[in-house]
Amino acid sequence: MENRYEKIEFLGEGQFATVYKAKDIETDNIVAVKKIKLGTREEAQDGINRTALREIKLLQELDHENLIGLLDVFGHMSNVSLVFDFMDTDLEVIIKDNTIILTTANIKSYTLQTLRGLEYLHLNWILHRDLKPNNLLVDSKGVLKIGDFGLAKMYGSPNRINTHQVVTRWYRAPELLFGAKQYGTCIDIWAVGCILAELLLRLPLFPGESDLDQLTKIFGVFGNPTEENWPGIKTLSDYIEFKPFPIIPLKSIFTAAGDDLLEVIESMLTLNPVARKSCSECLKMPFFSNKPAPTVGSKLPLPQSIRKIAEIERPSLKRKLLESAEGGTLSKRLFV
Amino acid sequence: MDDFACPRCRTTKFQNPSLKMMVNVCGHGLCESCVDLLFLKGSGSCPDCKIPLRRNNFRVQLFEDASVEKEVDIRKRVLRDFNKKEEDFATLKEYNDYLEEIESIVYNLSNNIDIINTNKKIEQYKKDNREQIQKNKNRLGREEYEIEEILEMEKQVNEARKQAILMEESEAKKKRIQRKEALLDELMFSNTNAKNIVQTFAQQAKEEKEEELKKPPTKITKFSSGIQFGRKSQTTFLPVPTDDGPTYEYTPIVVIPNGPQPPLDEDVGTKGFMNHIRLETDQERAGGFKTNIACLRALQEAMMGLYHTKKNM
Repeated sequence: MENRYEKIEFLGEGQFATVYKAKDIETDNIVAVKKIKLGTREEAQDGINRTALREIKLLQELDHENLIGLLDVFGHMSNVSLVFDFMDTDLEVIIKDNTIILTTANIKSYTLQTLRGLEYLHLNWILHRDLKPNNLLVDSKGVLKIGDFGLAKMYGSPNRINTHQVVTRWYRAPELLFGAKQYGTCIDIWAVGCILAELLLRLPLFPGESDLDQLTKIFGVFGNPTEENWPGIKTLSDYIEFKPFPIIPLKSIFTAAGDDLLEVIESMLTLNPVARKSCSECLKMPFFSNKPAPTVGSKLPLPQSIRKIAEIERPSLKRKLLESAEGGTLSKRLFV
Repeated sequence: MDDFACPRCRTTKFQNPSLKMMVNVCGHGLCESCVDLLFLKGSGSCPDCKIPLRRNNFRVQLFEDASVEKEVDIRKRVLRDFNKKEEDFATLKEYNDYLEEIESIVYNLSNNIDIINTNKKIEQYKKDNREQIQKNKNRLGREEYEIEEILEMEKQVNEARKQAILMEESEAKKKRIQRKEALLDELMFSNTNAKNIVQTFAQQAKEEKEEELKKPPTKITKFSSGIQFGRKSQTTFLPVPTDDGPTYEYTPIVVIPNGPQPPLDEDVGTKGFMNHIRLETDQERAGGFKTNIACLRALQEAMMGLYHTKKNM
């Protein structure tokens, strides 16, 4: 690690990189340093890891409150390290923490922040292609940032062919599962729809065990696609006919959600990608401007581990008062 | 309860309705008369498990299940030493772990699991934490402190009420004396008929009394526990979290083209930009790709930044 960054602790390890929490000595900020692994010998011979290159290339030009900020890139020996904003937690942790209660206002805030980041991304002709709760990072101030641009790619070229093996399966749009090689922003919207559903249910909406199972689970809710509601579906390379499923009304899955929220879910999880709403269209939907207003960042719930740390760093006023009060009674009793 | 019998004399509640079961630290029950018998000779041991008992450790059995009594006993004993409070721990998790440990110790002791080691553990804990145990014994926990505070408050309220009553009484007394003096003065110096004077004063006193009676007694609006009753209190629910913060309003992202303004998304299709462009195939459309997207991007890339010069940087 370069001298500028002082390692604090090990945070985690992924397929391509190890992440450390570190302190930037020049600015005193806490940052996350992602050290790209070399991988196997052959991979090392190819040079810099492809996902790292993608992240560097795209993130260096992006600047939005809801996108992870790439602060610095440095190389050491034949290693590349990326320096990011330090984020305390992610949506996956929040969803799985059953001590947290997510209100509609909380969910609205998270979804809004995701969509705003994504809108900026799409406006700049970039697809994220790997949206999932795990990649939506949240800091202790309640700011959500989209992270992990290892699969992100420019879109909108008519002749370039993309792989459909992107996006973690549970959040993968049906057109990808059917093998579409040309796709657009709609795949990210589908993923956001799945995440929104997961925020409500606190469980994945479509936890498919295989690609086929994934489609079965999707059609089990929305019914089978037809040539009418999804023109050209039969031309997709991996298209297969499924046995007919009955449609389950969303209202019976999300029993606690209001009509305006169901409308958002429905428009994000539209089977036909062309009919699916774009980020900007979603943001204009009444759910987001309706009451309750989205929770302001500082009031968003945080997992217990982070809450505790914040408390230790600066003890709350109440605690302080109690402590002094306790001391007061003690001395009083001594006098008596 | 009917078939519950003293293990020694086999007396049941049915045979002797006044049967009183006693229990000792080992958790085995004995009826009152058997306890008396047992200690006739001065000392005795439990007829069930033979451990020596002390008379003053016998208590009236509160629970039907004697093993509960035993657990209560053990818990009391363990908690005397394990007296840390939540405030003594940095995190909730640590406190929970500590409580968990207490529970497992109590469980082990009351179910005779690994008694030697558990007792060793307690001894070890006592040794390690002797100072803190002492300190905590003298210190009130937060809850006790809160109770103390409430008690203090109640005391003050009581005091104030007493003061008010005393004041009222002395006031009334003063008034009575004043009236009496006024009457005497009047009788002494006035020229009117004494009978009339007495009558008017009596009348006045009567009116004043009636007025006092009319004053409605101060209504009690609180239970002694401090909870308000009456219709008014029914309308006050727990505070509903107010939706602070502004509601969201969509504002489109502004892009500075730094060149001629590229056509908007909706214009690409209608204004003839796509006249000579290959339309998307069925397959591409089914995948969510449309030609106008590619067209728009090409147009944007062609125009944006055209006015860029090094000076502008």
